[in-house]
Amino acid sequence: MNLSYRIYHVFVRNLVSYKRFVVPTFLVSLIEPLFYLITFGIGMGAYMGYFGGKPYLYFLVPGVLVSSVMMSSTFECLYGTFVKMVHERLYDSLIATPVSAEDAVAGDIVWGAFRGLVSGTLMMLVAVAMGILPVSIPSVLLLLVLMVFVGILFGSLAMIVTSISPSFDFFNYYTELVITPMLFFSGVFFPLDRFPAWMRSLSEFMPLTHAVKISRAVFSGEYHAKYIWNFLVIFALEVVAFAVGVRMMKKRLIK
Amino acid sequence: MGIFITARDLTKKYDELTAVNAISFDIREGECFGFLGPNGAGKTSTVKMIHCVSPMTSGHLTVNGLPAHIDNRAVKMMTGVIPQEITLDSDLTVYENLVVFASFFDIPRRDARARIGELLKFVELEAKRDSKIDQLSTGMKRRLLVARALLNHPRLLVADEPTTGLDPQARHLIWQRLRQLKSEGVTLILTTQYMEEAQQLCDRIVIMHQGKILTEGLPLELVESEIGREVIEIRIPKEEDERIVGQLAPFSCGHERVGDTLYFYCRDGHDVARKLAELDLPNIWTRPASLEDVFLKLTGRGLIE
Repeated sequence: MNLSYRIYHVFVRNLVSYKRFVVPTFLVSLIEPLFYLITFGIGMGAYMGYFGGKPYLYFLVPGVLVSSVMMSSTFECLYGTFVKMVHERLYDSLIATPVSAEDAVAGDIVWGAFRGLVSGTLMMLVAVAMGILPVSIPSVLLLLVLMVFVGILFGSLAMIVTSISPSFDFFNYYTELVITPMLFFSGVFFPLDRFPAWMRSLSEFMPLTHAVKISRAVFSGEYHAKYIWNFLVIFALEVVAFAVGVRMMKKRLIK
Repeated sequence: MGIFITARDLTKKYDELTAVNAISFDIREGECFGFLGPNGAGKTSTVKMIHCVSPMTSGHLTVNGLPAHIDNRAVKMMTGVIPQEITLDSDLTVYENLVVFASFFDIPRRDARARIGELLKFVELEAKRDSKIDQLSTGMKRRLLVARALLNHPRLLVADEPTTGLDPQARHLIWQRLRQLKSEGVTLILTTQYMEEAQQLCDRIVIMHQGKILTEGLPLELVESEIGREVIEIRIPKEEDERIVGQLAPFSCGHERVGDTLYFYCRDGHDVARKLAELDLPNIWTRPASLEDVFLKLTGRGLIE
């Protein structure tokens, strides 16, 4: 793989273009998770009682944090990248410069992760405003680090989909058949204990499940060695998805 | 002048399709070298291999002594590309487009700022500095592409059909700028379907068709050797061909029948004109031979899809 520091230039290009869309994207990345927090958290939470001695919102917020990262980085690397590749032909002019195809794609994945980080951070601020606080400052920092890893993972996975996508419509398969189920079967909204054993095993194959577990533990300060396993799952998948995503995009970009 | 680019048996295949079929050529430093050909002749595929965005299938290709290769950043560093399609960054302003592009070449901010000022002046877009891309006319967009291609002070400039869809004013401005760059020593590679463009800019041309180079040379010499000096078009029914060809054969170098027209090519039009006056034919048009005649003669006058 021909990667270089020029990833940074690609990232900055996205940042320059982003300043025009800051307000709308802030709104979009807030509204969906906010919707979950209000409906599930306050509406349904009233009937849920206490989870492990704390209000339901403490259960819900850490899950919504990582799922908003998942959503933002996924959509950025699906639609954002597709527009740049097919409609604006931005990649064509990029690869004619010393920026390689790998730099360009990796720069967009990092950008997707950044967008995820922004969404997650916004959610955290909303949660704080609602009085739902992470347990300590280190726990906030760890959550931010986790968001970066989650963002790169889902950005890379989305890049694989984008690399084989003939049109926008194709993305629906991925979002409806992979991302949406993941949201509901990863323990974001309710614990997975009541599911039959096979469903629980299935959820172990969903990367979001692992991210939610770590997020919840870090949020409440329950650090435990067993979460290293969850992190390794995310990290391993991320390395593979990144390498495959970059390679498949390169194949599409260079003919 | 030294040889800047060397291609030997250069071949490009896309699955079953052979876009470039074992062509060889040399491009000298500081010249303007033109690739002419109809759509699908393999011009763009060839130049994409030269500026290292498309890998060759087989053959040998060097640029300034360096092997042309998809990951060859050194070649890309000294090359400017005016692409066929308008690939400007529509999320950014004119100025931002150039700033961002300069960063891709690691041009320091301050140098970039000065260079952008110069280039906006060069392509007469100073007034549009802070405009968004969709507020520009096609001609302005093309000029911005020229400016963008020059940010890194390229030694090699690749212009892939740079004036497609432009009005005459914009086209002439781009031609003037390209000639100016050539006079500054930039090696220029031009692909075009416009014969006038090739005649205006190119020192040497090749005519490509179906992935092959059909002929190579100086534009005017090609016209002389392939066609002659003048072309006479006669619009008459086909049945009369035999009689007229018989009459004119001693004076012409060749003839061709396409659709409703009989073409005669000749070195010296005077004798033919006199003969034609004797024959008193209607619908005759005598004109100087052009590169377009060479092009059409070699690539066929039929439609190429």
